[in-house]
Amino acid sequence: MRGLFLASACVCILAVGVICFFLIANGLPFFRQSSLIDFISGTQWAPLRNIFGILPMIVGSFVITLGALLLGAPIGVLTAIMMTRFASNKAVRLMKPAVALLAGIPSVVYGFFGLMLLVPFTRNTLGGDGLSIFVASVLLAIMILPTIIQTSEAAIRAVPESYYEGSLALGATHEASVFRAVVPSARSGILSGIVLGLGRAIGETTAVLMVAGNQARLPSGILQGVRTLTVNVLLEMGYAADLHRESLIATGLVLFVLVMAVNFLFSFINRRRVLQ
Amino acid sequence: MKIRKILALTLALTALSAIALAEFDASKTISVVSREEGSGTRGAFVELTGVLVDDVDNTYLEASISNSTNLVLTTVAGNDAAVGYASLSSVLHNDTVKALKVEGVEASTENILDGSYKIARPFNVVTNGESENPLVVDFLSFILSQEGQAVVADDGLVSGATAETPGYQAAALSGSLTVGGSTSVAPVMEILAEAYMALNPDVLVEVQSTGSSAGVTGALDGTYDIGMASRELKDSEVEKGALGIVIGTDGIAVVVNLANPLDDITIQQVHQVFTGEVTTWAELNQ
Repeated sequence: MRGLFLASACVCILAVGVICFFLIANGLPFFRQSSLIDFISGTQWAPLRNIFGILPMIVGSFVITLGALLLGAPIGVLTAIMMTRFASNKAVRLMKPAVALLAGIPSVVYGFFGLMLLVPFTRNTLGGDGLSIFVASVLLAIMILPTIIQTSEAAIRAVPESYYEGSLALGATHEASVFRAVVPSARSGILSGIVLGLGRAIGETTAVLMVAGNQARLPSGILQGVRTLTVNVLLEMGYAADLHRESLIATGLVLFVLVMAVNFLFSFINRRRVLQ
Repeated sequence: MKIRKILALTLALTALSAIALAEFDASKTISVVSREEGSGTRGAFVELTGVLVDDVDNTYLEASISNSTNLVLTTVAGNDAAVGYASLSSVLHNDTVKALKVEGVEASTENILDGSYKIARPFNVVTNGESENPLVVDFLSFILSQEGQAVVADDGLVSGATAETPGYQAAALSGSLTVGGSTSVAPVMEILAEAYMALNPDVLVEVQSTGSSAGVTGALDGTYDIGMASRELKDSEVEKGALGIVIGTDGIAVVVNLANPLDDITIQQVHQVFTGEVTTWAELNQ
């Protein structure tokens, strides 16, 4: 049995290793021909003329992911707290399947929903074209809700009941006990849920492709469209040749590094708190 | 009482906005919808309308990018102020958008045939040199036969078939073929594939839509047995060994939302809209 577990873990590590190796081996040669600084800070993307600047796409990914987290994380965490500590059994029986269903909806359906409902709504009430950072952020916030809710829920449930009971015994109200004793103890689990949500948001391609406009230039407002790193790769990978193809793999490498950086940052923040 | 007042106010506002929305607002910014750079439709369109100058594609930077014919049509159908371009054969089967007349000429196969509708391009099937796969050779001969060209013409393309075009004899082959590329060619290719599979039950033909340039690249590197491109082959592609055979000519329709009162547009205006020189519908009508 132990052998089976070991083998499964090895497959997992092997998968990450192969992807890392592929990205580095195929992406680094690009930087022999173009400078990294020009690549990351260039504001013009015109691959057919050998101009590779992905700053607009980095800004696009960053802004849309930030928007999704600002909207999705508070709602997700508060929903998880409600489901574990405040809701009646009947309500929980309704909410749990709803959250699970949200998790199971394919990205393209989300994209279609965004295109058919959110985009016209934004266009008619807020102005602009409709295909915008705002819509993409709202849509991604909905998409990452199940991830954040389910992880946060598990983390809150894992907190020993004695923390809550102790707090009540000391005279605190139900709300105070939950928010001051239970939730802070579940902090690392909740944070890891948010990081998972961030990972999903930054990697989402299909839904963003349909609602974000995909203009390869720096946006000047949340009602403007933008292109993300992932959509850039999707739009062009099919036909890219030589240097262009390498630039797209280099884009993947940049994305990979960004996600790893965020993961390390969060685990670093977490570790310091735990030590305290 | 307060809730009733709020409800009444909301209803009144909704009704007013519905009326306001019903009229086409010419002061709205034109929402330009374009295709991705590897699209054959885009390649042909920018060349034929002068948006492409000295190999530089001057498409408006604010134009939103959709990555398939269908997505362009869905986007334009959902936005009053949108304009886009798509394969005429797809637009003819789609009544959620309106195809504009160009220089007074309606977008139709008759007008492409007699040359009065200027925005037209060939549909190419691409192979890596002369294919030696008997299944590929047979499928291509089917497409170019009387039966195949009848399917092509039925779908809204201009077929090059004449009285001398040979008929097709089914050769009882078996195996499978992957055909991939242009999202404009894919619909007619799927109908051709179905007709071919009806005559050759042991053959499986699979059609994938990934874009014209992806189709040529795929044909050259072996990902696809046959590639599809909705534009002329580039010199660089021909140099790498790509061989294109024209299966029909398709128009590119300039499409707008059904609520848009505009019916006719000049090539000059098309150029102005798609390069971003003109940004509102009111400006265009001057």
